[in-house]
Amino acid sequence: MYCHICFKSMQEETTWKDLLTPKLFEYICTECEDQFERNSSPTCQKCMKRSEASICHDCKLWQQILTTDPLEQNISIYTYNDFMKDAIARFKYRGDYEIQMVWRKIILETFKKYFIHDKLTIMPIPLSEERHQERGFNQAEALATSITYEPDTKTLIRIDSGKQSKKSRYERMHSANPFQTTQPPPKHILLIDDIFTTGTTIRQCAQTLKQAGAQSIKSLTLIRS
Amino acid sequence: MNNPPPLIEELARRFTGKLLLKHELNVTQRLFDYLTKHHLIEPLPGINQTFHINTCLRCMNRKPHLFGKIPSNSTSPTIYCKNCIQMGRVSTREPLYIWKGPQPKRPVVDQPLQWHGELTPLQEKASDQMVEAIASQSQLLIYAVCGAGKTEMLYKGIAHAISQNKRVCIATPRADVVKELAPRLRRDFPAIDAAALYGGSTEKDFNAHLVIATTHQLLRYQHSFDVTIVDEVDAFPYHHDRSLPKVVKRATKPNSTLIFLTATPRLDMKLRIATKQIPTVSIPVRYHGHPLPIPTFKSIFRLQKQLEQLQIPQVITKWINEREQSQRRFLLFAPTITLAEELSKKLKIPYVHADSPDRNYLIQQFRARNIKALITTTILERGVTFPSIDVAIIQADHQVFDEAALIQIAGRAGRSAHDPTGDVTFFYELKSNAMVRARQYTINKNSEAERLK
Repeated sequence: MYCHICFKSMQEETTWKDLLTPKLFEYICTECEDQFERNSSPTCQKCMKRSEASICHDCKLWQQILTTDPLEQNISIYTYNDFMKDAIARFKYRGDYEIQMVWRKIILETFKKYFIHDKLTIMPIPLSEERHQERGFNQAEALATSITYEPDTKTLIRIDSGKQSKKSRYERMHSANPFQTTQPPPKHILLIDDIFTTGTTIRQCAQTLKQAGAQSIKSLTLIRS
Repeated sequence: MNNPPPLIEELARRFTGKLLLKHELNVTQRLFDYLTKHHLIEPLPGINQTFHINTCLRCMNRKPHLFGKIPSNSTSPTIYCKNCIQMGRVSTREPLYIWKGPQPKRPVVDQPLQWHGELTPLQEKASDQMVEAIASQSQLLIYAVCGAGKTEMLYKGIAHAISQNKRVCIATPRADVVKELAPRLRRDFPAIDAAALYGGSTEKDFNAHLVIATTHQLLRYQHSFDVTIVDEVDAFPYHHDRSLPKVVKRATKPNSTLIFLTATPRLDMKLRIATKQIPTVSIPVRYHGHPLPIPTFKSIFRLQKQLEQLQIPQVITKWINEREQSQRRFLLFAPTITLAEELSKKLKIPYVHADSPDRNYLIQQFRARNIKALITTTILERGVTFPSIDVAIIQADHQVFDEAALIQIAGRAGRSAHDPTGDVTFFYELKSNAMVRARQYTINKNSEAERLK
């Protein structure tokens, strides 16, 4: 096997355990894995931002802007360190689809830990048609497939273009909602995305879904920056 | 839509001889449609699939684990190359574009070289052979020892090629070398259009006379250069990667000159020299005419064990103390980053390795004589020049130090004309073949030089 990040060959020792249990595929070498940094407490209870207060400044601000916050809870796995930045740049901007293999295991584990008892519909954040064409895949959908083979991609669509990451913080928090629903949404939804920065995208999605009749919306993101 | 010819000419200068992805063309969709409609640019498939073996047509990668697959609901999956993905994705859906329009013109420079240095008779000989090779469009290997003054040797050939309106490329393995070489060449060839390309450089090559690039930058070229000079053929990416020779070959025009430079040819090159498949000029003397320093061997009993227990053997500390007393600056080579780090802590000498953040700063400081000593891994093995230093290798019997590496490291010492001698010491536990061969190489080269006198 080869590491999907550094492409180096990984040779594991054969042990007695291999005789008894099926060998699991490894997609990442230990050196690369160590460089990803897990999101650790103390964090905001709602959005998992690193903060001493139980509800962070960002969430309070959202409360003010939207009066009722449509997002119930966000769970993130990693922090956005330099190594992660490189990995995400390769995944999203260069289009190395297979890099997501590395995170499948941990996404599924996190899902099981936090959301397994809630009956949630998995819904990746959609991508505009234009960006989808350009990139060839939707990164959120790719991550969502690690939880279920058939995530709900039909309910929600995205109309705008324009890169989120090229906008300023103010522009992002006050931009118009680009999401629309095409059919009545399910009641309990888990939104999946790669990165949670200001929370605008996720909250815009959540608001659209709430207005169309959804009851509770949570989110699972790979990174909290 | 009617385009004025100046635009086409401008685009021709930008795109000719290159293999580019759509986003690298950097044109508007409207212009792109116009160009494809009039067959000014043509798509080439990015990935060739024959008998389930994929080949990336940009980087020539064929390793199955360096191809990825993007599933799709409606159509067949897309295959993409992971090897060169840092330069943008090449896939079965994303073709490479080549320029098929009119060929651009380059202004002819009659007297490009403005350099008034002196060449030694041997350098002169190599220069003349290079000019001949350029005229006859053949290959040439310049086999010159470390510190023979390879760059100056190339001047005459480059000037000759440019005055005949030929396009020249110097491909070297490292970005550091490009950064060092480009200002020198710009100073000595002031009238020409030169482009220095490496990962992260902002310069663009608009059909320049001279391109100085890292070997990887040549992935973007096809049939572009009349004269290609490959520096350090035996060094890491070129020697290690089977696809790079193919890439270099593709970047040259069908009838063109290929010039290889090396101090330490590998077996394949040695065989080609021995069987006279490639014309060779050998330069066994440094530009200052003094012999190469011969490495001294110092064996240390249980060196590996002592280093593991974080003890530094007395022989080594004595060597260091001698340098410090006589105010000589020195480089200490360590085989691994961990050992370099430990030595650095123990001896209180700064260390550099490939990923160290202050690498450039430390090298700069050492060059400016602000630091007395530096511990390094093999990254400073070649391409760098520090005047009057001594060199020692700790664990010279380690497998990372092969013959070429040892010769190159020994070649760091005694490079300036004012101080042509330098001490080279190998500290080892068990003598390796590479060490013996490296010393034999120096002795052979010195006696070859003696015969020429």
